[in-house]
Amino acid sequence: MNGSVVKVEEVTKRFAGHTAVERLSLEVPGGGIFGLLGPNGAGKSTTIRMIMNIITPDEGRISVLGGISASRDLSSRIGYLPEERGLYKKMKVVDQLIFFGEAKGIPRRTARIKSGEWLARLGISDWAQKKVEDLSKGMQQKVQFVGALLHEPDLVILDEPFSGLDPVNSQVMKDVVVDLARQGKTVLFSTHIMEQAEKMCDRIVIISRGRKVVDGSLAEVKRDFGGRHVALTFTRHADRAARVLADRSLVAKVDDYGATAEVELASPGDPDRLLHTLVQEQVGLARFEVVEASLQSIFIAKVGIEAATAPAKETVHA
Amino acid sequence: MHKIWAVIRREFVERVRTRAFLLSTILFPLFMAAMVVIPGFLMSRSTGTQRLAMVDATSDQLGQRMAASLSAARIGRGEAALPRYVVTRIPAADRAIAVRDSLLPMTGRSRKLEGFEGILVVTDSTVTQGKAEYFGANVASFDDMRELEQTIRPIVIGRRLEGLGVDLDQVMKSVQGIDLVTNKVADGKLTGESGAATFALAYAMGFILYFSLLIFGTQVMNSIVEEKNNRIVEILASSLTPFQMMLGKVVGVGLVALLQIGIWAGAATFFSANQAKILGALGIASPGGMPLSFPAMGPGLLIVFLVFFSLGFLLYAAMYAAVGAMSSTTQDAGQLQMPVMMFVLVGFFSVFALIRDPNGTAAHVLSFVPMLTPFVIPMRYSISPLPMVELFTAIAVTVLGLLAVVWVAARIYRVGILSYGKKASMRDMIRWIRTA
Repeated sequence: MNGSVVKVEEVTKRFAGHTAVERLSLEVPGGGIFGLLGPNGAGKSTTIRMIMNIITPDEGRISVLGGISASRDLSSRIGYLPEERGLYKKMKVVDQLIFFGEAKGIPRRTARIKSGEWLARLGISDWAQKKVEDLSKGMQQKVQFVGALLHEPDLVILDEPFSGLDPVNSQVMKDVVVDLARQGKTVLFSTHIMEQAEKMCDRIVIISRGRKVVDGSLAEVKRDFGGRHVALTFTRHADRAARVLADRSLVAKVDDYGATAEVELASPGDPDRLLHTLVQEQVGLARFEVVEASLQSIFIAKVGIEAATAPAKETVHA
Repeated sequence: MHKIWAVIRREFVERVRTRAFLLSTILFPLFMAAMVVIPGFLMSRSTGTQRLAMVDATSDQLGQRMAASLSAARIGRGEAALPRYVVTRIPAADRAIAVRDSLLPMTGRSRKLEGFEGILVVTDSTVTQGKAEYFGANVASFDDMRELEQTIRPIVIGRRLEGLGVDLDQVMKSVQGIDLVTNKVADGKLTGESGAATFALAYAMGFILYFSLLIFGTQVMNSIVEEKNNRIVEILASSLTPFQMMLGKVVGVGLVALLQIGIWAGAATFFSANQAKILGALGIASPGGMPLSFPAMGPGLLIVFLVFFSLGFLLYAAMYAAVGAMSSTTQDAGQLQMPVMMFVLVGFFSVFALIRDPNGTAAHVLSFVPMLTPFVIPMRYSISPLPMVELFTAIAVTVLGLLAVVWVAARIYRVGILSYGKKASMRDMIRWIRTA
């Protein structure tokens, strides 16, 4: 696929009393994994719901797969995993999946075959004839995941796909998502877990309080942020190191973890001076490495600690 | 279209599979069966044949005649009918009381033991003063006593008339009453229905619609609230149009209603048609009284009823769907459904009000109020067929009303299903209808 699969232009959405999304523009290119990042209540789910045409923007335009905001007519080509999971509790797993498939417009027979394949792939075939309410939360989430994917959509939109999953299941889902991208599908997913996004995404957009603060490919974002980060691991005299790192002429910012630290230099290209000073102070170093900034630190730097905790009322609609 | 089918099938299959559906579907016919069997069972609790001791202190063969008459009495009709009594006549001359006392210890005991269910004492004063005595365990059974009385009365009366020199047969012929048989004529043809059956039918049709709306309309409403609450509605809304979601649900639930009512009607018809056989199979004599009967429904009326039932159901269920979409909890929904309930009640009671004058002005006017038409027309049609013009006008009016309701309801639905938290106000609703 070429061109953009999802195009959001200058979109604004207001809810009673506050603006959830403000003049947001973003473009999801065809193929690959696109991360929509932001703290809780930043407007990620609102944006995704608007893309899915579940709610309509107050201003701006959204086009999906070339159509103007008509995701319902394109539902056979879009897979959607909503943030708030919903399944019919009394229905059998397989019946539920068949129904979801049919609702997306694929024939009943195909839906049955596909749901069988997917359940096997995710290792929950034994539960196909069980009622949803008998399943654990993790399994329900897998079922929901299958529901979003069994009609083989070109565009997959996942709202917080990994929240509430244990590491094992998280891994299984991640493999599926990566595999989808490998098949040339487009995956758009939202998360506030940066480590995950950093490993998976080709492109990211970070939004905070309804506004876009970062947009670009992961490489671009990191390059723009600058390569002036140093990762340190201390073996002894961490207290002396702390003194050195407190020098604002040398170090702009420290993310201190005690035995390790990630520092941002005051001026780029100055790692030598820092190393020199640390050695002079006889700090025991196990590691001194000039690194790219982690997405986590970019996120914190761009969004700011204060924005990471959203105002209470925003969470209602996010 | 394929998608609507998927929704209809899901609604139908998932509902029919529930234990609640199974239970209510089975319980009602069981109840019907009980209605057939229990009265019969109660009436002939002494399982038919009773062993009767007759202390005969009459001096002129009256006792023999009575014994013959009692022995001839049968339970029910037909060749297989069991004798009602096995009579043991014990001539007692003037020792009636002594004989009776000697029999008492053997009376009213367990069925398995030797003895009698009851003792009938007849003397000469039975003719002169009209007195006979009965001793038994079943004296509280109104039917048993009436039966016994009716069997011996003609013998006594006959004896008195004989004494007056009057021919019994001629008297019986001359006192024969008249029995007004009502036969319904519709469209110049005999329908084979009686007046009472027609009335019952008109009432029953109104009741079925009323009942279905209360039960299944509420189901539509609550299931939408449930879908909102477990957020499944987001998945549905991203794949289906609000119209598909609503129509699928309403039709699916409507089919469940039809299936259940169909099973019930079938069971009722079966039981009423085979009442005697069922009782016979259970070893219970059919009660001599009124058999349980259901009025037959002609094909014309059946079609009219089904058409208006379907239209009425869709009309009201769409309203219930809108109410469900407006609510966040079933409690909210319970409150918001009041206006819809009012219409249902008015419709149902208009059946009662109009049944006395089904072709009056009021009936004509109410036939063309879309909310009431589904109740009024089948009732009127069952009493006397309507002119085709009137019938089709009524259908057209209801369809128009239905479209209007669905249009409004779909708009409320569209916005309502995705708004959580607060209950929608009247102002919100009007805004939704205008902007959706």
